[in-house]
Amino acid sequence: MRWLAGVIGTGGGQEHSGDTGNVKIFLTGDALFSLVDARTRPAWATLSRLPSVLVIADGDELRLQGLADPVASGIPGLRITGSANRESFWGELVSSLEKDWPGTRSAAFLLCTSPYMSRVPVYMLRFLTCVLGAGLHPELYCYLDGVHTLHDGQRPSEFENIGKGVSALSGNTVRACRDPWFAACSRCATARGYYQMNPGTGFCEPASCIQDIAIKPLKEILARFSGFHPVASHMGGWTVPAGDGKEGVPALTVFITHPPYCSEWTFGGLSLAIAAAMDGISTNVVFIEDGVYALQGNHDVPDNDRIFNVQEMIAVTTDIGRLSYYVHAPSVADRGVSTTGNLSLVREASDRDLSRILFPAKKDPAFTPAMRMLFF
Amino acid sequence: MENTNAKDFSELTCTNLMIKLKILLNKLSPGDTVAFYATREQVDNTCSPFSGQGYQVIWTEVAANRYLVRIGK
Repeated sequence: MRWLAGVIGTGGGQEHSGDTGNVKIFLTGDALFSLVDARTRPAWATLSRLPSVLVIADGDELRLQGLADPVASGIPGLRITGSANRESFWGELVSSLEKDWPGTRSAAFLLCTSPYMSRVPVYMLRFLTCVLGAGLHPELYCYLDGVHTLHDGQRPSEFENIGKGVSALSGNTVRACRDPWFAACSRCATARGYYQMNPGTGFCEPASCIQDIAIKPLKEILARFSGFHPVASHMGGWTVPAGDGKEGVPALTVFITHPPYCSEWTFGGLSLAIAAAMDGISTNVVFIEDGVYALQGNHDVPDNDRIFNVQEMIAVTTDIGRLSYYVHAPSVADRGVSTTGNLSLVREASDRDLSRILFPAKKDPAFTPAMRMLFF
Repeated sequence: MENTNAKDFSELTCTNLMIKLKILLNKLSPGDTVAFYATREQVDNTCSPFSGQGYQVIWTEVAANRYLVRIGK
């Protein structure tokens, strides 16, 4: 959060030739606690005072979490959705993206978390329902634990049924003469048992899956990224310079925010970024917050362990033309870690450098019609 | 016939197989080979291109959509 304020503040101050333009920040779920947390509240107060920044909080989730009163009185300029005469949070997000991505015909959600353990799949359904309500084609990309959405026969006793929700959304989309493009990554689905080998044919087939989500290689899912449409996620964003032609493929910045091995976030983010770059998408990878631990020391994978050495992954992919690696220097300094000298092609980036990356100037060779940001 | 020294890479994505092979080939001594199992799609999209980078790439079909691939310097 603190670096985000630095990045937007730097760009907003016009200290480089890029322009952050008008920035909207939509907050829901656990992110709402940052509005009352003493460590981050000052940064929100500073950001929300900038004339070019609008912070929008999900009013329903604020009330759910008992945060409505302290947030309403503590952050001047904050917009809270869902009260009388106000559009819902997700409706407001979709209205905003229609303006940000003029002419877009679809909007997507990259789902990386599983139903029931996480509330993000509920947000995914609300978002895509509003996407359909706006007359757009909803797209769902299930990745990492998000592929558990595939599982047939979900029957939660207390929570919204995500499998049925996806099926209903798919049916409603077809009835509205729109095209639901719902897919799950085949690598992730195979690992979790939803895509099993038929020994007779030598090819994998869906197992215990709902019919409404197709299992496809990540390459096919990433092919959708070449289109001019927004991709929302559990944490993500986009920059779309105003008034320019929309020719070309939107760039991608993947933020790695978790330590490297005890979860699939780092491997999943790197895999997606490398595959995107190999498919012709200009891609930045930024190791930030706890993600900088991927660069600490020299990793040595034991012989009996079956896991990718993240540092080796980085080292052998620095020759991919459209792929750039960065490490956020303030995150390194905050943690007092020393990054390995073997990865010299991972460039250090300050908040100002990040601002240049996310809001490139028009004369910058890296300038593209849009930039998607995904956090892993 | 299965080669017991060959690892099974048939479930890696093409991107991850490429990364795996680059890591293994970087550590390979001249004259040595890497042997592994792959699918037809992996052979076509990921393994074959290494032949343009100074490596010798050969493969044999051992079952339906299962190939024993050897890449050497």
